[in-house]
Amino acid sequence: MAGQSDPHISLFSAEELEFMAEDELIEIVPNMRMDPLNFICVIFKSGDFGPFFPQIASQVPLWLAVALKKRGKCAIRPPQWMSVENLTRVLEGERESQGAFQVLPFHYVEISRLLFDHAREDIPDMYMVRSLIEDIRDVRIHKVETSLEKFSGTSAVKIPNLSAMEVNIIRPFVGRALQAFYKHDNPEKIPDVDRASSAQTRAANNEPRVSATEEITDRFHF
Amino acid sequence: MANYYNIDDILAEEEFVPVVFHKAANGVIIDPSSETNSVEQGAKVELPLWLAQDLYLRQAISISVPACFNQRTRLEIQADAACVDLKSRSPYFYEFGCKIAPLVGDKTIEILLLSAFKIRYKEILTKAYTAAYTTASKFLTLLTKEESNLYEAAQVSMSAFKKWRMGGPRLQRASVLGRKRRSFE
Repeated sequence: MAGQSDPHISLFSAEELEFMAEDELIEIVPNMRMDPLNFICVIFKSGDFGPFFPQIASQVPLWLAVALKKRGKCAIRPPQWMSVENLTRVLEGERESQGAFQVLPFHYVEISRLLFDHAREDIPDMYMVRSLIEDIRDVRIHKVETSLEKFSGTSAVKIPNLSAMEVNIIRPFVGRALQAFYKHDNPEKIPDVDRASSAQTRAANNEPRVSATEEITDRFHF
Repeated sequence: MANYYNIDDILAEEEFVPVVFHKAANGVIIDPSSETNSVEQGAKVELPLWLAQDLYLRQAISISVPACFNQRTRLEIQADAACVDLKSRSPYFYEFGCKIAPLVGDKTIEILLLSAFKIRYKEILTKAYTAAYTTASKFLTLLTKEESNLYEAAQVSMSAFKKWRMGGPRLQRASVLGRKRRSFE
């Protein structure tokens, strides 16, 4: 994780997450003719995109779509899930079920922000879509908080369908909190008084303690 | 010394504990109020934990439960843990408690710590993510070091997200770019 800006506060900053989200694929409709682009790519099967022909839709990474859009070379097709009907359905689902989260793309917060910033004229009902996504995000963050309230001791935490940004917001807090719970939950693991004699057994006791803590916090990293 | 390089761990061991000397000690200024440079057998003194721990291992003293884990605090924690001012009792309440519990042989301290943390955790959670800073600032003065670290971690990540959401300059200028070029003669 060489790119993390501040390892102590949060694993990634919001800007870094946005950068990662730019690797998601999106459909564009170019208005120019261009030869295929051959990138070195580790995420997708191949880094070849194009060739591009006017009015023929093509899949490209989001960063490329934004770059082309800025030059006026294409129109971006908003993804399926960003339609008003789908988002209304998701919002209703979020409000109805208290425990479970609706399925949304892992980077939905970042993708929607990038599209709102750079391709506002390509999104039909842009204001409606934007307010829906903001509502969904607020409801979900509130739900995450209420589900965190249920912690009382060290158990494996499982919250399916959480998005990258939501995980990132709660990660520093949850990591610390679980560590504190772990510390107080296992009083028998506190080192013995007579350390001189039991230094070796203590070292042995400490090993599983550290790894178990990491395992618990790790489940949050997905 | 569980963690030699951790400043919080070191400071937690600076907390004072009441002890009773079993043996007389000469040539030490442990008790600043005594007239001679010695401690008598049966003297009641307050020592920092790191010193008490070693003397206890040599069976020179016996340790009693410190004031911050007395009956009154326990009753207050049972009544409403979220409102108890743990910071004034000890800024390292939890760490200190974990260290002192095996020394005094009191299992109830650990139970007390866990129950206190469970309740206060919820309070920190709601305050950190939802409450405005002005309403939370009064609550912050009650938190121990560990708890305020927790609060800050939540606060910082939330405000970083809000800042990103509001937007702002998308491209930041590298600090080297702003400088004027030096002219070479």
